[in-house]
Amino acid sequence: MRKLATLALLTAFAMPLTVARAAGNRAAMLPAAQAPVPAGETDQTLHAMHDEMDRSRTRLALAGVGKPFYFEYRLLDLDVRSVTASFGALVSSSTSRTRFMSVDVRVGDYHLDSSNFISEDGFQGFLGSTGEVGIDRDYNSLRQDLWLATDQAYKAAVTQMALKQSFLRSLTKPPEIDDFSQAQPLVKVDPRIDPDWTSRNWEEEAREASAVLKNFPQLYGNRVSYYLVYATSYRMTSEGTTIRSSRHLAAVEAAMDTQAEDGMSLHNYYSVYTPLPAGLPDAAAVAKALASASTDLMALRSSPLVPDYTGPVLFDAPAAASTLAQVLEPSLSGARPPLSMTRDFDAFLERFGGRSEWSGRVGTRVLPASVTLVDDPTLQESQGQPLLGSYDVDDEGVNAQKVTLVENGILKELLMSRRPGPDSIYSNGHARSALLADPHPLSSNLILQATDALKPDDMRKKFLDSCRSDGHEWCLEIKRMDNPALSAVRQEDFSEFVGELGGGISNGDRVPLLVYRVYVADGHEELARGGILEGLTLRSLRNILAIGSDPTVLTYMQNSQDGLAGTALGAFGSAQDGIPSTVAAPSLLLDDVEIRGFHGEPSRLPLDSAPPMK
Amino acid sequence: MIKLNLTYRTLLTGTALLAGAWACVAANRPAPPDTPAPAVLTAMQDELSRSMEATSAADPPAYFISYTVSDRQLAEVSGSNGALLSSTADRARWLEVQSRVGGYQLDDTHKLGDRPPSWTSPGTNVPLDDDIAILRREIWRETDRQYRAAAQALIKVKTSEQVQVQTAEGGAPDFSHEPPHTSVGPHVEISVDRKPWEERVRRYTAEFSKSPSVLNSIATFTALATNQYQVNTEGTKLAFGQIHYRLELFVQSKAPDGMDIERYANFDWLDPKDTPDEKTIFDSIHQLVKETEALDKAPLANPYAGPALLTGRAAAVFFHEVFGHRAEGFRQKDISEGQTFTSKVGERILPDFISIKDDPTEASFGGQMLLGSYPFDDEGVPSVSVPLVDHGVLKTFLMGRSPLVDVPHSNGHGRRQLGFVPIARQGNLIVSSTQTVPFSEMRQKLIALVKQQGMPYGLLIDDISGGFTFTGRGQPQAFQVTPLVVYRVFADGRPDQLVRGVDIVGTPLVSLTKIVAASDKQEIFNGYCGAESGSVPVSAVAPAILISEMEFAKKETSTDRPPVLPPPAHDSEAKVVQQQ
Repeated sequence: MRKLATLALLTAFAMPLTVARAAGNRAAMLPAAQAPVPAGETDQTLHAMHDEMDRSRTRLALAGVGKPFYFEYRLLDLDVRSVTASFGALVSSSTSRTRFMSVDVRVGDYHLDSSNFISEDGFQGFLGSTGEVGIDRDYNSLRQDLWLATDQAYKAAVTQMALKQSFLRSLTKPPEIDDFSQAQPLVKVDPRIDPDWTSRNWEEEAREASAVLKNFPQLYGNRVSYYLVYATSYRMTSEGTTIRSSRHLAAVEAAMDTQAEDGMSLHNYYSVYTPLPAGLPDAAAVAKALASASTDLMALRSSPLVPDYTGPVLFDAPAAASTLAQVLEPSLSGARPPLSMTRDFDAFLERFGGRSEWSGRVGTRVLPASVTLVDDPTLQESQGQPLLGSYDVDDEGVNAQKVTLVENGILKELLMSRRPGPDSIYSNGHARSALLADPHPLSSNLILQATDALKPDDMRKKFLDSCRSDGHEWCLEIKRMDNPALSAVRQEDFSEFVGELGGGISNGDRVPLLVYRVYVADGHEELARGGILEGLTLRSLRNILAIGSDPTVLTYMQNSQDGLAGTALGAFGSAQDGIPSTVAAPSLLLDDVEIRGFHGEPSRLPLDSAPPMK
Repeated sequence: MIKLNLTYRTLLTGTALLAGAWACVAANRPAPPDTPAPAVLTAMQDELSRSMEATSAADPPAYFISYTVSDRQLAEVSGSNGALLSSTADRARWLEVQSRVGGYQLDDTHKLGDRPPSWTSPGTNVPLDDDIAILRREIWRETDRQYRAAAQALIKVKTSEQVQVQTAEGGAPDFSHEPPHTSVGPHVEISVDRKPWEERVRRYTAEFSKSPSVLNSIATFTALATNQYQVNTEGTKLAFGQIHYRLELFVQSKAPDGMDIERYANFDWLDPKDTPDEKTIFDSIHQLVKETEALDKAPLANPYAGPALLTGRAAAVFFHEVFGHRAEGFRQKDISEGQTFTSKVGERILPDFISIKDDPTEASFGGQMLLGSYPFDDEGVPSVSVPLVDHGVLKTFLMGRSPLVDVPHSNGHGRRQLGFVPIARQGNLIVSSTQTVPFSEMRQKLIALVKQQGMPYGLLIDDISGGFTFTGRGQPQAFQVTPLVVYRVFADGRPDQLVRGVDIVGTPLVSLTKIVAASDKQEIFNGYCGAESGSVPVSAVAPAILISEMEFAKKETSTDRPPVLPPPAHDSEAKVVQQQ
C-alpha cells in the first residue's frame, strides 16, 4: 500500500444543523447483514473484501469506545492511456494501471455518526484509510491493505466522533436531521471490462491531428491530448451491498493560445468525448476541428473589444448548455453545505459559488412556468448521441433514478445522495465522485425543456425585436462559452484563472469565448473579444425571454478536485479526473444581461517574434 | 537533510510537475569527433542568440540566458505486501530557462532580507520528437515568461531599501563570472525488461509479509537514463548522459506503544551487470525484518548525554547534516542564515586528524557507486573535488554561481531538482581520518570513556535516517537526526541492548570538536537530500567515529495504537481460509 499525497479533502460534507426533519415517504429499513460473495464468483478481490470486512465487523473494537455500525470498502481499478502532442510533435505518452482503495468506517448510528464534520485536529494515522494498492487482484495483499485501512478508518472515526460531539455540545440547538439515510442494499456484480486500446496508433494520431496547427504560426502554444480511460469500481458495505461495475471513456482535449496585438491573452479549446476509444474521430476529423478552433482564435486576435453592455443576449445552444451547467449545478444538490469547526472550508465554498439557492425552496417557482428541468442518469442516448453522464448505480450503491427537478417552473425535488437535507432524507441515486473522492449529489444528464419553444428563425426575430424595442443599434450573441480547465495550455494558467477570476464565480461572473455583435438593421454579425458576463445567477434565469427548439447535448467533465465539485467551477473539468456529465439545452434569450468589457492591463507582447515554423 | 526517496504518486497529473528529481553518475566519456549535434542542442543554440538579441535590447536588459533540457527515461516497478503496485515506463523532456536581468554584481536574484526569492517559472515539458522548429517555439515562450518574471523581480530589488544595507558578506556579487565549457558526450539509453522485476518485487515484499511485525512493505526498482543538454549566453554548450539503477526496500511497523518503526535499505548501481543478486537482497530483507522485530520489542531509551560511537554509515549522515549543509556557500551570504562557519575559514573546527572533501568527480568508492557524482553541475560548471576541511582546518565552501567576496567562483556544486533554481549543494561528501583504529578497538575506547565518566552505558548508533538541520538565524543552531538503530553498550560487559525512541540533539560546533577517534574503514550512505533547491542525489562517506559527549533526547512519537486485530495472514482466530 502506498500512501496518497492527494485525496486530502475527501472527508468533506457535513450536515444541516438547524432544520426540521423532512418527512420521508419511504419506510425506514434496518441494515441487512453483509452479503456473501455470489456463488461461483472467482474474483479474489471480492473474496478479500468480504473476508476482511467480515472479520472487522465481528471483531474490530477498541475498549471503551463504540463498535462501528457501518463499514464501506471501495476500490477503483484504472487503466489509462494518455498521449499528448503539440504542433505535430509528441510531448508525452504513457500507459498506467493503478488500483486505489478507500475505506470508510463510521461509529455512532444513522442519526448521529462520525461523518459530515470537518475539523483541523483529525486523526493522524501512519498510513491512513486511503491508498494505492496492489494491481495483481490477488487475495493476500488486498486483505493486508484493507486490514490496515480499516483499522485506521476506525480510529479516525472514533476521534472524529469525539470532536464532533464536543462541538455539538457547544451549539444551542443540536441537529435534528439524520447524518446518514437508509438505503436498500444492492448486489450487482457486473462482468469486468478489460481495456481495449484498439489497433489505432494513438501517438501517430495525436501527431497527425496536431500537425494541422502548424498552419497557424500566430499560435503561441498548444497541447492536443488523448485520454483513454477504463475504470472498474468495487463497493462493499456492511449493509449488504456488493457492487462491481466497469466504465470507460475516451477523449480528445486540446488547448491553444496566443495574444492579440494589444497584448490581450486569448485562447480556445476543443473537446470530444465518447464511451469507447474506437468511437473517437480519426486524426483527419480531429485536425479539421482543431483548424476550425484555431481559425476562430485567429479571428478573435483581430477582432474589436467587447463593449460594456446591458441588454438582451442570445445564447446559442452550446453556450446556453455551458452556462446552465455553471449556474444551475451548485443549486441542484439537496445536501446542506458542510459543517466545519474551521471557517476556511466555508469560505472556500462560498468563494466558488458552492451554496445551493434552491435548498429549502421545494414547491416554489424557480424558473419560467414553461420550463421543465430533469436529471436522468438512466437515459442512454439523446438524438442518437450517447449520453456520457449515464450510469446504473451511483457512487453510494443506490440505483440511478430519473429526477424531475423543476416542472412547469416549480421546484419539485433536488438531487440527493445518502446525506439527508432540509427537503428530503433519502437518496435518489445521484451521489457521484471521481477517484474515490467523497461522493456529492451531482447532475448526470441534465435536460432543460420548454413547452413554448421557438423555432430558430422565430428565436432570432424575437432577439432582434427586443433589441430594437430597447433602442439598441446592435445586441450581443454568445456562440460559445469558455472552459478554462480545457483552454489552459499549461496547468498554471488554470490555477491563475481560479485564483483571479474564480472568486467572481459566486457573484455570477461567467466567461464567454465567442461573442458577436448582431446589428438590428440587417442582422449581420461581428466577432468581439474579451467580455465577462456579470451577475449571471439563478435569478437571471427568471428573465428568460425565449427558449429555442434546438436542443444540443454538451458533454463535459465535472471537476472533482477538492471542493470544486458541486460549485460553479465544477463545470470546468478534464477527462483526466472529471466526472462525465451532459447538459441538453436549447438556445436561450435572456434579458438584462450585463457584460463588462476588458478593462484590465493587457500583458506585454513577447519581446521577440515567434521563431519560424519551418 | 537526507531523506528516503519514496515517490508518492499524486492522483492529479497537473500537480505532478515537480515530482521526481533524478540525476546520477556520469557516463563522462568524450564524444567521437564527428557526432552530429543533438537536435535539442541545435534548437537551444538557434533560439539562444535570437533571445539574447531581443532581451539584451529590452528594458531592463537581460545579461545572461541559459537553457537546460533534461530528457529523462524512467522505468519504475513497485511492489507491496506481495503484489505488484505499479509498473511503468516513461519518457519526458523538461525545459528550464534562466534569464537574468541587471548585471553580475546586482541582478534579479538578489536576496532581499528574509524575503523569499521571487517567483520563477519551474519550466515546462517540451516535445520528445526532435522537431527543431517546435522545440524553438517552446523555448521562445518559456524565455519570454522567465524574462518577464526576472524583470519584475529586478524592479523589486532596485526599489528595496534593503539593497542599501550591506549584508554580512559585504556586497558579494549576485552571479559569478565563469569560463564557458563545451562538451558533447554520447547519448545514453536504458533498455529494461520490467517483467522479471515485477516478479522480483512481488517476491521481496511477500518475504517481508511472512513476519507479523511487518505491517506494510514496499519494494521499488527504478532505472533512469538522463540526457542533460545545456547552453548559455557565455558560450557553454553541454550534452551529457547519466544512468542509474536503484532498488529500495521499505518496511513499516508499530511498537506496542504506538511508535512508528521504519526500516529502509537501498542498492544503487550503474551497470546492469552489477545488479545485486538474490542472496544479497534476501539477506538485506531478513536483516530488515530482524531489526524491525527487535525494535518492536526494544525498550524506550532515556534522555542521555555521554559518549557515543557512530558506525561509518551513521557518521556519514551525521557529517552531511551537521557539517555539510553549513558548508554550502550561499548560506554564508544570506543575512537570515545562522552562518555558523562564515568567519571560520582558516580556523580549526574539527580535530586535526579529520579532513573532509566533497568530490562529485568520483563515480565510486571502494567499488561501490557514489550517488552524488556528476560531470557538470546544473549551472554548467564542471564538477570539482573541493577540500573543505584540511586536518581540522576549514578551507572553503561549496560554491554554485552565487559568489562570496572571498570565494568569487563556482566549484561546480550548483545543483537542483528539476524545476528549482540551483544553489550550492553537496555531492559526495568524503570524511577521512589520518589517525585510525580498528572498529573493535573503538568499542573498547567507548567502554573506557563510559567508565571514565562513571556511566552505566554508552550508545552505539548503527543507522541514522534523515533529520533536519536548522541553518536559519531565527532558529536554534541545532540539528536533529534520527538514529534508527541504537544499542546500549554496557560498561559491565553485559550484551548490547537495542533501544528505540531517541533523537540526537545538540549544537554542531560543540559536537564536531568532541570527536575523539575514527575507525580505519569508511562506509557509504547513498540517498536523496532535500533543501531549498529540491531533492538531489548525494553520497556521504565516513569512518566510524567516537564522540566523547553527545546529547540525546526522547523522540517525538505518534500516539495511534498498533492495529487492533492481528494481520489477516497471521490471525489464528480468523474463520476464513485464505484463497489461492
